Amino acid sequence: MRQARELLTKGTSWIRGHKLRVILLSLVLTIAAPWPAEGQFSPCCAILAAGLSSISSALQSVIGGGLNQILGIDQSIQQFEQNFVWPQNLINQARSLVGNLQGIFNQMQTLTKIQVNSATLPNAQLLEANLLSRNANQIAQTSANYTALYGSVPAATDASQQVRDMVDMTDAAAQAAMKRAIEIDALSDLELQAASQINQSIQNAAPGSAPIIEAQADAWLVRANAYTQAATADLMRLRAIDLANSSADIKMGATNTANLRQQLMNLLQHN
Amino acid sequence: MHYFSFALFALVCGWLMLAAKTRRQVVAITVAGVLISTLVIAPPPAEAQGGIIQAIQAVLNVINGAIQTGLNAINTTRAAINNLYQNLIWPVQLINQARAQVVQMINQYRTLMASILNIDLHSATLATPQSLENAIRDHQVNNFSALTQAFGNTYGAIPLSTDASQADRDMSDMDDALTLDSLKTLKVSDSATDLELQAADSIETTAGEAAPGSAPFLTASAVASSIRSQALTQKMLAAELRHEAAHIAHQNGFRKRGAAFSTQLRGVLMNLLQHN
Repeated sequence: MRQARELLTKGTSWIRGHKLRVILLSLVLTIAAPWPAEGQFSPCCAILAAGLSSISSALQSVIGGGLNQILGIDQSIQQFEQNFVWPQNLINQARSLVGNLQGIFNQMQTLTKIQVNSATLPNAQLLEANLLSRNANQIAQTSANYTALYGSVPAATDASQQVRDMVDMTDAAAQAAMKRAIEIDALSDLELQAASQINQSIQNAAPGSAPIIEAQADAWLVRANAYTQAATADLMRLRAIDLANSSADIKMGATNTANLRQQLMNLLQHN
Repeated sequence: MHYFSFALFALVCGWLMLAAKTRRQVVAITVAGVLISTLVIAPPPAEAQGGIIQAIQAVLNVINGAIQTGLNAINTTRAAINNLYQNLIWPVQLINQARAQVVQMINQYRTLMASILNIDLHSATLATPQSLENAIRDHQVNNFSALTQAFGNTYGAIPLSTDASQADRDMSDMDDALTLDSLKTLKVSDSATDLELQAADSIETTAGEAAPGSAPFLTASAVASSIRSQALTQKMLAAELRHEAAHIAHQNGFRKRGAAFSTQLRGVLMNLLQHN
């Protein structure tokens, strides 16, 4: 204690003796001393708070307001589309109709499978069974069955070449038409099958995918029209051959008459 | 870190002050101390308040400038899309008008057309043909035997083998068979036509209540129905092809037999001439 008092006395006397040094040291230490951090209520924080408040206000008014307007329009679009463009109940109603139509189409398909065979004699039964087979693999048998019933082209000793040509052409047209009929029956069966598949797809479709199925169905329709045209073409060929035959009958009648007249004149001249 | 640096600096500076012998040394230490404290120990200057204000202003500028402009543009576009949907693509007024037109056309045409199609076409006057006519026009597919019976009653049976050549009997049987096949096919197609009309009515009725989004189902289904319709038309065409083919085959058969008869006649005449 005594030593401390002596030390303090010495220090005080040294300070009194070196006032300038003490003042200068104090000044230097004061300058170098670390200052405490700024408090929360400094002017800088107040500016920051005011700035953040402005940003918040801008976010609420500019961004929030803008987004709310967009949301309002989007909700309006959604409501419009749900109520007027793609109403679920009407979509379900359409799907249900497609299901009901499938029932009708199944009845139609059953109708087309009803057997209509009517021949009673063996040759006619064979040809008829072939013609109504709906099986393209049976086409190879058509000519044989046809010849068995309608006979073959007369031999060269039995008819003039003109008659033989005409008979052969007529047989060819008739057989081709019969073969085409088998083809068309087979094709139409496949078309009915495809139409059922398409109808099934429509039942499972979405409003956005239904047009794709419709496009496919359109393609099938175009194809079906082409088959119909092919059948119509063969029908027209048959009728053309029929007309040609009628004309040929007149021509041959005229030739035969001329020949007969000539022969009669020859006979009269000989007598 | 700053407190540690300050303590070290204070110790060194205090010791140097104590150790200084002349006034000039004291001044030198003071100047050095001030310089060191200012340049080395002093903390980096704090950011100016002006920097914060500029940053906040920059954010506000972005919000009020780019973001607001962007949101306004989106808003304008969405409003335009909404307008396009409601006024141009799917105007409710025109949707309702289209539905009303479907309903109006159903009322205008459906019954009228059905009544035209259902006009009685029966024209036979005698009992047997009347029976056949009824059978071929009744749209039924479960009375083919009655049709065959009525056809036989009207057109007669195939001649017995004692009454006609086999060729004649075969051709006659084939002609009758294909005629009956066609008549049966027509009964089938009449019945199918009834179903087709029923399908068309259903599609049209539903179209009268449809929305733009449900209409593709109906159009797709209608196209599928058209395929079926074509298939049935083809079956009728196939029957007609068979029919026409048999018709010219029959005529051709006469030619063949004519040639055969001519050969036979020539032979008979030659024999006669030789005998005389």
